[in-house]
Amino acid sequence: MGYSSSLIQRKFKDIVGKRYDSVLKDYSEFLLTDEEMVVPEIRSILVPLDSFVHDIGDEAIDVFSAYDATISLAYITDAGVIDLLKQTLGHESAEEFRAKKEEYGQRLLERTAAKLEERGFSTQTRMFVGHKGDDVARMAKNHDMVALCRSYADGESTGDSVSPIVLRLCQRVQTPALIY
Amino acid sequence: MDTVALIAVAVFLFTYALIIDERIHRAVAAMLGAAIVVFIGIVPWDALLEHIDFGTIFLLIGMMIIVNTARGSGLFEYIAIRTAKLAGGSPIRVLILFAIVTAVVSAFLDNVTTVLLLTPMLLYVAKVMELNPIPFLVTEIFASNIGGAATLIGDPPNIMIGSAAGLSFNEFLIHLGPIMVINMVILLGMMYLIYGRSMKVNPEEQKEMVKTLNGLDERAAITDRSLFYKSVTVILFVVLLFFVHDQIGAILHTVLPFVDPAMGLEPAEVALIGAAILLVWSRQPPEEILEKIEWPALFFFGGLFVIVGALVETGVIAGIASVMIENIGSTGEAIFIVTWFAAIASAILDNIPLTAAMIPLIQSMGSTMDVYPLWWALALGACLGGNGTAIGASANVVVIGIAEREGFHISFVEFLKVGMLVLFVTVAVGFGILWLKFVV
Repeated sequence: MGYSSSLIQRKFKDIVGKRYDSVLKDYSEFLLTDEEMVVPEIRSILVPLDSFVHDIGDEAIDVFSAYDATISLAYITDAGVIDLLKQTLGHESAEEFRAKKEEYGQRLLERTAAKLEERGFSTQTRMFVGHKGDDVARMAKNHDMVALCRSYADGESTGDSVSPIVLRLCQRVQTPALIY
Repeated sequence: MDTVALIAVAVFLFTYALIIDERIHRAVAAMLGAAIVVFIGIVPWDALLEHIDFGTIFLLIGMMIIVNTARGSGLFEYIAIRTAKLAGGSPIRVLILFAIVTAVVSAFLDNVTTVLLLTPMLLYVAKVMELNPIPFLVTEIFASNIGGAATLIGDPPNIMIGSAAGLSFNEFLIHLGPIMVINMVILLGMMYLIYGRSMKVNPEEQKEMVKTLNGLDERAAITDRSLFYKSVTVILFVVLLFFVHDQIGAILHTVLPFVDPAMGLEPAEVALIGAAILLVWSRQPPEEILEKIEWPALFFFGGLFVIVGALVETGVIAGIASVMIENIGSTGEAIFIVTWFAAIASAILDNIPLTAAMIPLIQSMGSTMDVYPLWWALALGACLGGNGTAIGASANVVVIGIAEREGFHISFVEFLKVGMLVLFVTVAVGFGILWLKFVV
């Protein structure tokens, strides 16, 4: 090392002290490493929706925009709730509940798809009655990523807590999962 | 020259040599020099308190508290990621946007913290673009020094000059702000001409870069949302107070009639008020924040003031000033000498010790001539002279040091070639404008 290099290193040490190490530590929490910098091949993203998911946030859409992927929106009405209503209030009430949920689901799917298409994504939508945990885990196998809203399948959650079904799904699915 | 004066000069030269060489920590070297002149009675206690410019020291302390508190919120990382995303994967836009952001942040906060926090992001963006980061880093250094020169609080030489000469924030903005805006435009043009050809990426690669950069979440950088908003609010409030610090009495008098309308706040008071508000409002543990004050830098300044004070006490400064006055024929000549001497000496010495030595000299010249234009000449030369060499200003050392650690060597000569070109062009532009303002 020449005189000028060692001079700069000495001055750097005296001016900066240990501050650079703490700056690097702060950055390392959100900058990608060399391995992470290779963008994985993500062609399709599954986004489950239900009556507790009112919108897809901009930060999630920003992440989607890193991939050239088709987004599959799936609105699932809980079969368990419909069965329960059938047994307690009768077939008619259960059907009425289902119709209302599906009407809401249809509007949500249309609104969300339009928002995503406006941002340049191609989308697919589907709506069915099923089991939110099992069906999402099954469908996730056919997608490269699953994006779960933290309040998905949980009317009880408040604030920033993550619903138990979302946590269980993250443990069950092999596909990379994003919680937004 | 008597023996005492010779000792004061010897201590001054010896200490400045130690500061240039930095084998001993600069703060320790300055304290050692100060200890010698105090020990042999050249600077007695009463004079010592007069020579230490507490306006500079307290302004630095106040701004250090504000910056260190704000840093904990992730504010700087947020700015860095937003800038990287805004550039949209275009190398030229990265260069321009980072230069502008660096200049603006450096104008209001200290240069070392600015470049310390922006450089890792710039290196990351260059890595994503698979481009040599050196052009971006070199531009960042120049932008930091030019931006810092625009305001009273932007660069240590300006803080020292403002405090010693009693100049206001707005005076700095009026006299140096336009010069620095013009110099930024010139700098960007020069950097484009020098490095533009090496900054080409094909559209396919650019698309991939945008994807990678969009994958970064600037909101994830904000570690404490409440502190983030409070920091931004207090920084904006402090900047606003700086704009009106010399007229604060007149403003307050309209709502609080008991306030003296002639009252003004010193810049150091503004910084300390801002620091107090942020500490109270953010509820950050004061021990942690006060621990982060850069005490070595403050002792470095204190030591320099005492060593230069010894030259004042022994009449050396007055002697040099009278020789200069005898040989300088006009204000224009004085502006020319101060600007270019400060610029070239800053590049060799580091602009902080140079300014510490020049301030009492100009003050001494003030007994027989109008030195108002000379303060601007000194600020211009000292701040922009820092661009000349790798050791000319602290920001240069920090960026080059980080680059070296990350495996990118910027040699002294390589920097000198571009740095001297930038120094001569920007100082010439500034000198021309000062000449038109104060001489023509």
